[in-house]
Amino acid sequence: MTERGRRLHVTSWSELAVGILASAGFVALATAAIAVLKAWIPILSLGALYVLAVLPIAVLWGLTLAIPAAVACVLAFNWFFLPPTHTFTLSDGENWLALAVYVVVAIVTSELAVRARRRATVAEQREREAALLASVATSLLRGEPLGNELDRISDRVAGVLHVSHARIGIPDVEQVGELVTRELSIGDRTVGAIATAPEQPLDPSVATRFLPALASLLAVAADRDELQREALEAEALRRSDAVKTAILRAVSHDLRSPLTAIHAAASGLANPELSLGDEDRAELVETIGVESARLSRLVTDLLDLSRLQAGAAEPQRALWAVEDLVALARDEMPADAPVSVGLPDNLPPVEVDAAQVRRVLANVLENALRVSPPGALVRVGAAAEHGEVVVRIEDEGPGIAATDLERVFEPFQRGSGADTYRGTGLGLAIARGFAEANGGRVWAERLTEGTAVALALPAAEPESESAE
Amino acid sequence: MSAARILVVDDEPQILRALRTNLRGAGYEVFTAATAEEALAEAAARQPDAIILDLVLPDGNGTDVCRELRSWTAAPVIVLSAVGEEKEKVEALDAGADDYVTKPFGLDELLARLRAALRRAEPGGDPVVEIGELRVDLEKRAVTLAGRRIQLTPHEFDLLALLARNPGKLLTHTAILREVWGPAYGRESHYLHVYVSQLRRKIEPDPTRPRYLLTEPGAGYRLVEPTPSIES
Repeated sequence: MTERGRRLHVTSWSELAVGILASAGFVALATAAIAVLKAWIPILSLGALYVLAVLPIAVLWGLTLAIPAAVACVLAFNWFFLPPTHTFTLSDGENWLALAVYVVVAIVTSELAVRARRRATVAEQREREAALLASVATSLLRGEPLGNELDRISDRVAGVLHVSHARIGIPDVEQVGELVTRELSIGDRTVGAIATAPEQPLDPSVATRFLPALASLLAVAADRDELQREALEAEALRRSDAVKTAILRAVSHDLRSPLTAIHAAASGLANPELSLGDEDRAELVETIGVESARLSRLVTDLLDLSRLQAGAAEPQRALWAVEDLVALARDEMPADAPVSVGLPDNLPPVEVDAAQVRRVLANVLENALRVSPPGALVRVGAAAEHGEVVVRIEDEGPGIAATDLERVFEPFQRGSGADTYRGTGLGLAIARGFAEANGGRVWAERLTEGTAVALALPAAEPESESAE
Repeated sequence: MSAARILVVDDEPQILRALRTNLRGAGYEVFTAATAEEALAEAAARQPDAIILDLVLPDGNGTDVCRELRSWTAAPVIVLSAVGEEKEKVEALDAGADDYVTKPFGLDELLARLRAALRRAEPGGDPVVEIGELRVDLEKRAVTLAGRRIQLTPHEFDLLALLARNPGKLLTHTAILREVWGPAYGRESHYLHVYVSQLRRKIEPDPTRPRYLLTEPGAGYRLVEPTPSIES
């Protein structure tokens, strides 16, 4: 396409040389044809063949070569065929007229051919521009983000602009190498920029016609992208605000409850007007101790959670037997906690951070014990399934609504409804965070009575040294 | 007089335990409840003289408990609220709670509120209320400050009389408006602020630093015995 578009103008010396050689070829060809045909046809009629030679030259290289070619034709006709031959003089006056007519016809025909060619080329160019704009508009209106489309659009724009390379950037184009950039703007507004190779200047008429149209399309797309982004940001902000408010309320509640107990107990102990027995005093002191431990646990939980959310909980992995991990977690519960552990013997080991998985299991266990009705057992079981070891902790608590099975893993969610979850409301969120940091998963399942919380950890490949 | 009976309602076992021990040490007879349902059952069974009620309960909120209690007992209710629960607190007060303390609270503060609530609950037929140097004769509709007669408009007097009949008690905007101006005015709290500031100009030694008629931001007003000013 590019080649054809440029044939109207002779732009380089090599092209000029080709044009001159080809023109000479056409003139020689016509001369040879006349030499052959003059035996049968009157020579003056055959002069018209030169018009046929000039025509393709005009179409292919324009008047720059067509006019010299026409002059060359006249000279060749005169030299070879008009008496006296092999001179540039004419003996017959009417031959002058013939020659003059041929020159005029050749030049006028050439000019017409050039014009037709130019119109066709301009029409083709406009059609290409229009087609490109339409297809850009279609793809942008389809709602594809502008960023994904820019490279594709740039390549097609390069074709329309007859340059080997074009890059469009919004709001600005990246400067790579020796590219010439120009602004893409509509009115006062600069939408972006287009960079093209410096040795291929843009056709000014194409640039002034096509680039503003492209710019206004890109402006619409950029505006739409911006609106979409703002809407998304606003939504994200609103959500994160709601989450923050919920967390703040929950944290303040969870911090205040132990503080209230401590404050009430301590101010009671300090009040000389109260008549407190030794047992009463011991009880108040115990309350202060228990609630201080709870506060400190909450602070640890909050730190764990923020480490997990910041991705700073790097696990220290080692090979562990699942029963050891379960035992570690069991040890964190009170000795008399109603927990029954039944694990199969053939469980594969797991490669995890023992302290973190202990937290996972301990938090799930603690939660299960909290929701269990008095006297009910919390059961711990495990199985190897599809390359994973799945530990299940089952309680006989009030159960979780199907719609809340995922929600309980969000920070500060407690089971909804009548079941009261006491404690920080962070336990399951932290359990999930640590499980995921160790390549595992945690989820809740509804049982006919109560809830099972499952921890799946990838089973480790048996170490090769075990074969030694 | 036998010990006053107090019902403490909170779902936090440690708070419940600390309050029970301390209130017993202060000479009260104490019952406890951890849920809204238990609270109503205990209140019916024990007939407490006062109720300390947490606003957030696992099976309901304190406001509903308060409303339910008010339908059959006049025992004063003190709600335990927290920062961030102002709306719930005012709702509970509107529903008939007498006062509140904000968590975490010191025992002294709770005991003071409790004593004041119990004192108000005692039947007293005295038509003359004396608070500091302020003397309100409810029958003769006469008010004196340090023996000096004070002229009040009818609404101003009704407002002061309502507060004087409930010394120390926090009265919500809604409660005052309904009582003084009538049920239709329950939401027009700007009326109230204007009347309160007029009243303060007449009864307060320094209206810019009120010592009798105190503002509880976002909740209401209370008329109190002025504490001796330290700097004067």
